[in-house]
Amino acid sequence: MSKRYVMVHDENKCIGCQACSVACRSINQVPDGVSRLQVRIEGPFGEAPHLHFKYNRVSCQQCEDAPCVKVCPTGAAYVGDDGIVSIKADKCVGCMYCVAACPYKVRFMNPLTRVADKCNFCKETRLARGEQPACVTVCPTDALCFGDAADPGSEVSKLLATKVSYQDKTHLGTKPRLYRIPAKRGGI
Amino acid sequence: MNNIWGDMSQYDGITWHWVIAVYLFMAGLSAGSLLMGIGLRWYRGQTQGGGQSRAESAVLKAAALIAPIAICLGMLCLVFDLTKPFHFWLILINYNLSSVMSIGVIALLAYIPLTFAYALVVFRDELPKCGLGFLAGLADSLGKLRGMLEGALFVLSLVVGAYTGFLISAMNAYPMLNTAVLPALFLVSGLSAGAAANSLLAVLMFGGDKHTGEPSGDLERQHAFELPVMGMEMLFLFMLFTALYFKGGAAAAALASLSDGLWASVFWIGVVAIGFGVPLLMRLSGKHGRSVMVTAACASLIGVLALRHFILYAGQSYLS
Repeated sequence: MSKRYVMVHDENKCIGCQACSVACRSINQVPDGVSRLQVRIEGPFGEAPHLHFKYNRVSCQQCEDAPCVKVCPTGAAYVGDDGIVSIKADKCVGCMYCVAACPYKVRFMNPLTRVADKCNFCKETRLARGEQPACVTVCPTDALCFGDAADPGSEVSKLLATKVSYQDKTHLGTKPRLYRIPAKRGGI
Repeated sequence: MNNIWGDMSQYDGITWHWVIAVYLFMAGLSAGSLLMGIGLRWYRGQTQGGGQSRAESAVLKAAALIAPIAICLGMLCLVFDLTKPFHFWLILINYNLSSVMSIGVIALLAYIPLTFAYALVVFRDELPKCGLGFLAGLADSLGKLRGMLEGALFVLSLVVGAYTGFLISAMNAYPMLNTAVLPALFLVSGLSAGAAANSLLAVLMFGGDKHTGEPSGDLERQHAFELPVMGMEMLFLFMLFTALYFKGGAAAAALASLSDGLWASVFWIGVVAIGFGVPLLMRLSGKHGRSVMVTAACASLIGVLALRHFILYAGQSYLS
């Protein structure tokens, strides 16, 4: 695997406008009632008048050591040559082991296809055409950055090298590839 | 606040529901029942020197009947819980050896036909009475391999019984399930359920009775095993909760399942009061009548079923 695709969500720049989740729904034909991507507006935190919100991106973390891939009995959940954790629909029987095993709870059963579904960085749609994932392209504040972290010259590499970032639930050893830049309170 | 980010129902905790708890129970019951039946037969062969006698004990008959039926009912639960039940064959032709489920499929593929083969061997003399006389020849030839069959089934039963625990302990997302003690707990509680079901069928169907005395003595011997097995079950449960307590954090938070909500009631009433309390009280009362045995066996079965539900639901309710 020469590429290491990662996504960075800058929680300073995110305004919770939901353009990303709408774009995701549209390009990936995600049915109503389920989502591959949510940006939850959590809060308010703090004491008035210094209230603030947290914009929490909830989507597949593209773990390098993915629990869903380990537990899938048929190999329907797999890691591609590009390192992206994805699903072979024709191999999935819907045992829901992956849904249960995901510590981030971002896998779901697609009610139309009855196959496990989740974010795959638009691998089959936009990425296949050499474009950025839909959420990244549509973001009005450029809060999202996507690219190959194995390439030191890429935009994501530079961003991760210069900004403080964190990943969710690193204690579980899943090595998520969704990085988050925490919001700085009191001015940027 | 109105959540503009959409429907949250897909994120609600429980992925695997009661059907899976019933499957885990059935698989444990099938394996536990055979372990008891075969184990007792070997033990009898050793102490009496003549384990190869023609007459099958009531306990062994019960085990040989329960094992294939319970595992098949369990498999039905499992298959119809899939979102694509009619594609279940995909799981039989695609294997991922890092997946506990895949290893379980391999074990079950060997285990299930062997339980049927063993039932044929044990019920060799009853086959004509059930209109299955045409299978007698097959039963005879399988009978020649009885020793191997029993050895293989004993090992496979251990694998299947422990596998039900490994299946759900493999997920590090859930602190209550992701413990080393769970497979052991499931194996011994499967033994407990197996012994109870064996007693039940031995008494009700195959004329084994504590009073009249079943000729093989298997029923008494199995009865003697019930108390140590129950003790192990309690010990493993205690170890499970102690491990959560000392791990702290999200794991310790899962201990709330013992004091809060529906699953706390299922644990204290179903597992502790019915599953452990009733059989222990029956034993303390010193009575060994038919009705006492049946009541104690039913209570044990309910207790183990409640335990599977408690572990599955409470386990999935707390995330690391």
